[in-house]
Amino acid sequence: MKAIEVENLSRTFNSLRAVDNISFTVDVGEIFGFLGHNGAGKTTTIRMLSGQLRPSSGRGRVADCDVVAEQQRLRPLIGVVSEHQNLYERMSGRENLEFAARLYQQDMARVDAVLKQVDLLDRAKDKVQNYSNGMKQRLVIARSILHRPQIVFLDEPTRGLDPVVGREIRRLIVDMSKEGVTIFLTTHYMEEADQLCDRVAFLSEGRIVALDTPANLKTAHGKQQVNVTLNNGESVTVALDGEAAGRELQQLLSTGQVKTLHSAEATLEDVFVELAGRRLSE
Amino acid sequence: MNFSVVSAITRKDVIDAIRHRYLLTALVTPLFVALLFRVMLPGDDNRKPQSLVVHAAAGSGLVAELRNTPQVTIVEAASADATVSEVQKRKAVGGLVVPANFDADLAAGNQPQLTIYVNNQKNLFEQAAFRRLVNQTVRSVAKQPEPANLVWVDVDKKENDPLRDAANMEQVFLPMLLILTFGMTGAFVVPLLIVEEKEKRTLDFLLSSPASLNDIIAGKALTGVVYTLLIGGVLVVINRQLIRNWPLTILTLVLGLVFVVGVGLVVGSLLKNTMQVNTWASFVLIVLLAPSFPSIGITAWFDKAMHLIPTYYLSEALRLSMAGTITSQLWINLAVLLGCTCGVFAGAWWALHRRG
Repeated sequence: MKAIEVENLSRTFNSLRAVDNISFTVDVGEIFGFLGHNGAGKTTTIRMLSGQLRPSSGRGRVADCDVVAEQQRLRPLIGVVSEHQNLYERMSGRENLEFAARLYQQDMARVDAVLKQVDLLDRAKDKVQNYSNGMKQRLVIARSILHRPQIVFLDEPTRGLDPVVGREIRRLIVDMSKEGVTIFLTTHYMEEADQLCDRVAFLSEGRIVALDTPANLKTAHGKQQVNVTLNNGESVTVALDGEAAGRELQQLLSTGQVKTLHSAEATLEDVFVELAGRRLSE
Repeated sequence: MNFSVVSAITRKDVIDAIRHRYLLTALVTPLFVALLFRVMLPGDDNRKPQSLVVHAAAGSGLVAELRNTPQVTIVEAASADATVSEVQKRKAVGGLVVPANFDADLAAGNQPQLTIYVNNQKNLFEQAAFRRLVNQTVRSVAKQPEPANLVWVDVDKKENDPLRDAANMEQVFLPMLLILTFGMTGAFVVPLLIVEEKEKRTLDFLLSSPASLNDIIAGKALTGVVYTLLIGGVLVVINRQLIRNWPLTILTLVLGLVFVVGVGLVVGSLLKNTMQVNTWASFVLIVLLAPSFPSIGITAWFDKAMHLIPTYYLSEALRLSMAGTITSQLWINLAVLLGCTCGVFAGAWWALHRRG
């Protein structure tokens, strides 16, 4: 059984085709990255797969539930971290989670366990409006995993966070994955996707333009060459296209003048630019 | 519908509303206005000196009781006919004509007639205080809630002064206060509860949780009901002496409550953010509240226009049911209100589900 199965899914808003006939599957326990520009259709896809938005056409199954016909069965099986920190700001962190626990009919003891997991136990009684951005984001993640979902949708979970907090959030994502939770992640940060995701899909104007492991994408679209910098500052590029390359590299190394040696494989960003025609940050 | 989810949403909103300064203000405003009226309408503990003219040919325990009341001065009239002229001459707040066998009939539970003259030259608050004094004293003497048939007669009544037509100012103010409470629910409380979920995007969280749209709507409506019952309940309890027919009053209140919650759901679903609520809510409140004011006879068309507002029928039904006046007009008012409530809920259902 797949955690997520999507077949020819589309969503149109008036004349705008926000998601255009996409198909993919996500394995159980996988971290699946969904990358694209603003307006590419990432959030619309999450909203359809989490039962918040009805698809215009196509079919989606999440946790073996049809996203249209079996919404009530689906909802307790998924967690959603929205791109907005949609918390009740006048309530404390604990009250936010207690409310979620009542909605999902969870034991209140679970609230403390999750607060501890995201390192917010000490600030649990504080009102959310007094939390930092990073604390709010950790609380949103805590709320999404409170009911032990099989699949968690994370929409830009590290956007606008400082690097230290971003790293903390990534640690939480890895922890969730280790516990067997399937992660569906959208992000602007290519390094983050490269570091976290088992597979990534590139979305451009509502369509999937590539889907593979980060390593395969980089290999398929990167240049097979090595950049060598010598002690005198000179740079030499060696194309890895046969036996001659090996001899050339050996010769350079034998001179003892090699300062650095880097493979020139493409980054995910390079691959994305090649496939989507512009950078993610544009 | 999942009742544990509905109760979770209601519980969250009931607690959260108290922390919302704007909502809290909307909720306590009717209590504040009621308090203001209490101060303006002096009660037992805050009574100005009152001069009463009394004619009791055979004496009465009622007169003795009034005489023992602090701040009350009794002037005796020689005859029943002289009572009115004495009220006018001495500028008394009112006068009583106590029949000869009043005390005996009272003791026998015969509900004797007691004629009370109210000096309309006195201000409304003095009149109201006088009416309350007589009501309380008669009950105190008889030691039962409905001891006598009180006949109120206006003295020096001005023509074309509909404001003073109100038999008892408190019976005008209580429906007004209740409709103000209901109006706050329909114009501010329920719309804000809905709009804030949209504005802060917490609705996205709710819609991805086990809560269905119907659960969310029911939770918001129930929060409106809880607060309205609480505030309305306080107002009714502190004015309980004005209510002659409890079952009908409660029926009217329940119908009115359901109506305004429906109005709140419509307003909340049509507006997108708090600023829009702030802009439109006052207008909605004024429209809901306007028919509860006593007619001031500005123009006939204005009075007729009030008939187009459902709260006119609520206001009328409240006055009639509180006074225990069970007439066909009361049932017509309730039927119109019920029809409007059904219409409003149909509108709310459409407005809330129109985006699919």
